[in-house]
Amino acid sequence: MADAVVIPQVQPMQPALRFLRIVPGVLLLAAIGYSGKLLEQNVGAYAKAHHWVFPNIEYVLWAIVLGLLISNTIGVPEIFRSGVATYEFWLKAGIVLLGSRFLLGDILKLGGVSLLLVAIEITGAIAFMTLLGRLFKLKPKLTTLLAVGSAVCGVSAIIATKGAIDADDEDSSFSIAAILALGAFALFTFPLIGHYLHLGDRAYGIWAGLAVDNTAEATAAGALYSDAAGKLAVLVKSTRNAMIGFVVLAYAIYWASQGQAKAVGNKAAFLWQKFPKFVLGFLLISVLATYQFFNKEQVGALANLSRWAFLLTFAGVGLRTNFRDMRKQGLRPFAVGAIGEVVIAIFTLGLVVGAEKLFGF
Amino acid sequence: MSTQENTAQVKRPWRLSLDSWAVVVALLAALLIRAGVFKHIPW
Repeated sequence: MADAVVIPQVQPMQPALRFLRIVPGVLLLAAIGYSGKLLEQNVGAYAKAHHWVFPNIEYVLWAIVLGLLISNTIGVPEIFRSGVATYEFWLKAGIVLLGSRFLLGDILKLGGVSLLLVAIEITGAIAFMTLLGRLFKLKPKLTTLLAVGSAVCGVSAIIATKGAIDADDEDSSFSIAAILALGAFALFTFPLIGHYLHLGDRAYGIWAGLAVDNTAEATAAGALYSDAAGKLAVLVKSTRNAMIGFVVLAYAIYWASQGQAKAVGNKAAFLWQKFPKFVLGFLLISVLATYQFFNKEQVGALANLSRWAFLLTFAGVGLRTNFRDMRKQGLRPFAVGAIGEVVIAIFTLGLVVGAEKLFGF
Repeated sequence: MSTQENTAQVKRPWRLSLDSWAVVVALLAALLIRAGVFKHIPW
């Protein structure tokens, strides 16, 4: 008689219950985001009324800082966690809606340039991170995860690659912690460097989209500089995200050839499964806006809705960043990530400045 | 027959990914704005 395999029956959670579980966290995101917006409006006015010299701090930074304060002091209570995790959903919905502010011609023009820059960035970043991982004697799969995380799109790329190459949970936790810590650092340093170097909105936005790893942090780093830079950062970052399937597929084939991962069956299905669908949504809304499916007021409404979605995202970025947890993950992967990020940031800055001179964007 | 060969394939119910949900919700919101259900979204 064949051995019986007992599969525990897990009761799936009812959709209504799942929805109710996210409500407190979403309300917390909204409360923090809206507080950030109120602080932007009122702190500046209060300082001006009292003749204080106070920099104009945008809602983006207020929302992130408020989230960071809560996460790193009292922590995020369990009841809010499911809802706070929806910040990725708001980010992607916001990016789709932002498509209304891009005409197809702009996307084709800037997308063409950014595709070239993204291809160079991904190749250079993967090569450099692989070399760095070998120098620091990191485990090969950990090096792969760090390379994909810094070359393509942060946490999503690490999670997609982990499944495809059968990497350890510990390796992916290390990589995610390193990428998140460096993303938080980039969020605050990139705008300062951009202003110090007097970068234009376009050059800065393209640089942030090329060099900052996580989509949420890249969007925030762009928005902290200016509205126009934020738009460009999202466009370039989305181009990078679109490459995720190809990079993960290449790594999956490599690790399968080494006998250390499952072989990839249908490659087209694999690419479709890994492809970020929000990029298609972004393009669709942009096509509709280009062919005047929406009138001027409706485009304005879509753009504002996108801002509200980003407001929740920025609060989530602060809330999910816990420096204590990151410290627990160890120093070596973080050091590799940090060195890699600095080199990639300098390399991509050179690329952007060179491309600006060459293409005059 | 080994246990491995007998391991039942657990079929996961088909579900939309987070990405796809974000696209669906955003497109729905865009259609509602286009249809005039939401005329003005303040900021």
